[in-house]
Amino acid sequence: MGDKRQEILSIIKDTRSLPILPGIITKLNALAQNSKSSIQEMARLVSSDQVLSARVLRLVNSPSYGFYRVSTISNAMILLGIDVVKCLALSTSIFEIMEQNIMGLWEHSLGTGVAANVIACRLKLAETEEISTAGLLHDIGKVIIKLKFQDDYDQLLKLVEERDIYYNKAELELLGIDHSDVGGWLANSWYLPEKLVEPIMYHHDVSKAKNHQVKTAVVHLADVLVKASGFGFSGDDLVPQIQPLAWQRLNLNEQFLAELVEEIEDRLIDAKNFSMELQEGNETRT
Amino acid sequence: MKPGLRIYLIAGTPSLASQMEIRLQSKGHQVFTLEGFCNLIGFAYNDPPDLFILDISAGDEVTFSIIRELKRDSYFSVVPIIGLMSESMARSFDWTETPLDDFIFLPVSYPELFTRIDLSVQRIRRVFDNNALTRLPGNTSIQHAVERVIGKPMAICHVDINHFKPYNDVYGFSHGDEVLRMLARIIFNSVKESGGGFTGHIGGDDFVFIVPIERAEQVSQEIIRNFTAIIADLFGEQEKTCGYYIGYNRRGQKEQIPLLGLAIGIVHGNNPNIRHYGKVAEVAAELKAFAKKSESSCYVVDKRTSPARTAKVEE
Repeated sequence: MGDKRQEILSIIKDTRSLPILPGIITKLNALAQNSKSSIQEMARLVSSDQVLSARVLRLVNSPSYGFYRVSTISNAMILLGIDVVKCLALSTSIFEIMEQNIMGLWEHSLGTGVAANVIACRLKLAETEEISTAGLLHDIGKVIIKLKFQDDYDQLLKLVEERDIYYNKAELELLGIDHSDVGGWLANSWYLPEKLVEPIMYHHDVSKAKNHQVKTAVVHLADVLVKASGFGFSGDDLVPQIQPLAWQRLNLNEQFLAELVEEIEDRLIDAKNFSMELQEGNETRT
Repeated sequence: MKPGLRIYLIAGTPSLASQMEIRLQSKGHQVFTLEGFCNLIGFAYNDPPDLFILDISAGDEVTFSIIRELKRDSYFSVVPIIGLMSESMARSFDWTETPLDDFIFLPVSYPELFTRIDLSVQRIRRVFDNNALTRLPGNTSIQHAVERVIGKPMAICHVDINHFKPYNDVYGFSHGDEVLRMLARIIFNSVKESGGGFTGHIGGDDFVFIVPIERAEQVSQEIIRNFTAIIADLFGEQEKTCGYYIGYNRRGQKEQIPLLGLAIGIVHGNNPNIRHYGKVAEVAAELKAFAKKSESSCYVVDKRTSPARTAKVEE
């Protein structure tokens, strides 16, 4: 088991890029060709894709730029400039085939970003954009596992289905490591700020968060609520419990939660429409 | 024809020296031939040239140490040294130990020498004028860029950061440097994305950008808006809520230091009162002082041609 873990971690170190959805590329192309497209429009589009967001944040935090702590997509876009982001997006590889579960994972990530944003705004937390970004990126580890360990990934899904267990439990059994560790490692090796690394790393165990306990709790809650809503597919169909510690840290109550779920459901309808649009775009391409 | 350069030449043999003198003078350069390396530094200090061409094919340690000493003085770091050497010498030459800027093989090919002279001078200007921290063009380029737009409907805009020095003192210079790098990117991207223009870094927290007059205010607003967004990443929640952080003044007393902001002074190149670079800088300094009176980031447009000046404040 230890060997597998080491193998995964060394592969993360060598990971230079991750593919993004073809639909995103199509949309970015359209924006790139339009000279009037603004930073805000580009930022909105980049923020809809967990992989592209991670790449933009990786670039802006790379040592060659000399910035230490850029944690939001819009600030990354301001510093990099539209042209750099266009080049970055257009030089990104794309998923060859649009598999249902990749699309499902993308939807789940987008939904968690949206839900994290709703929670942060309702709780009047600071740094809502960072919290949304952390939600968007929380499952980035799954993308790496799927990409670099295709056979293991197929086995994972089989194991989840056969034994009806949580996806991350299956990961621990098969790989000796789970996607939150993998994602945290990736975020660290890409110099992403700690306020993003911690929620990615501890969204399944909020007690381990040190400096960003509230952000981690929000991302955990967002993840659970999006799974409960049935939007997207994160690898299993089981809805985990909201950890009591997260409940406590966010000072939640039943009434508040009910209002939260209602608002998240509303916002997920928009996300669903966007997702449909992308998939239609993909069908016309192929 | 380009104006000639003042060149100090040391050649291995008198015949090579006279041949090179003739060829270089034919290109309009002034050549001062020195007998050997021992007087080189003295001459250079008394009457600095634009370029050195030094025959180092004899390759003794004294020669190398003189070149090292010359380049150690930052004044001469911008004066290129072209070394004349044999091909076999170049193969194992230690460029770190002997900081030449370029080389040419003996026997000298003159077309190549002329080309290398032009390139050495241009390259060193290009590299040296750029600010090391932000890599933006520096003073010489800024002066040229400003002179090019005097009398034209272009806006010369000076940017500086409010309360930068105390920030540097409290948070340390590496964070101060990060702020300067960020501002450099913000100005550069805003100018480029508005349709192009010039961006330069005077030094410290002083920057200049040049855009057509009709775009100046829009670009200034964009820079202020983006800088405000970026600053949000640099301060903690408590500081952002209060609008200040705690530092100590020179007398060691606690004081509330306001968060970073920008002051931009916009000078119109076609203002009839402005005829040279010095005047632009003077007017810009006045405008910035005016802009700095504001609590928040703002830009001020020079309206000398009318009696009133307007200050625009961005919240």
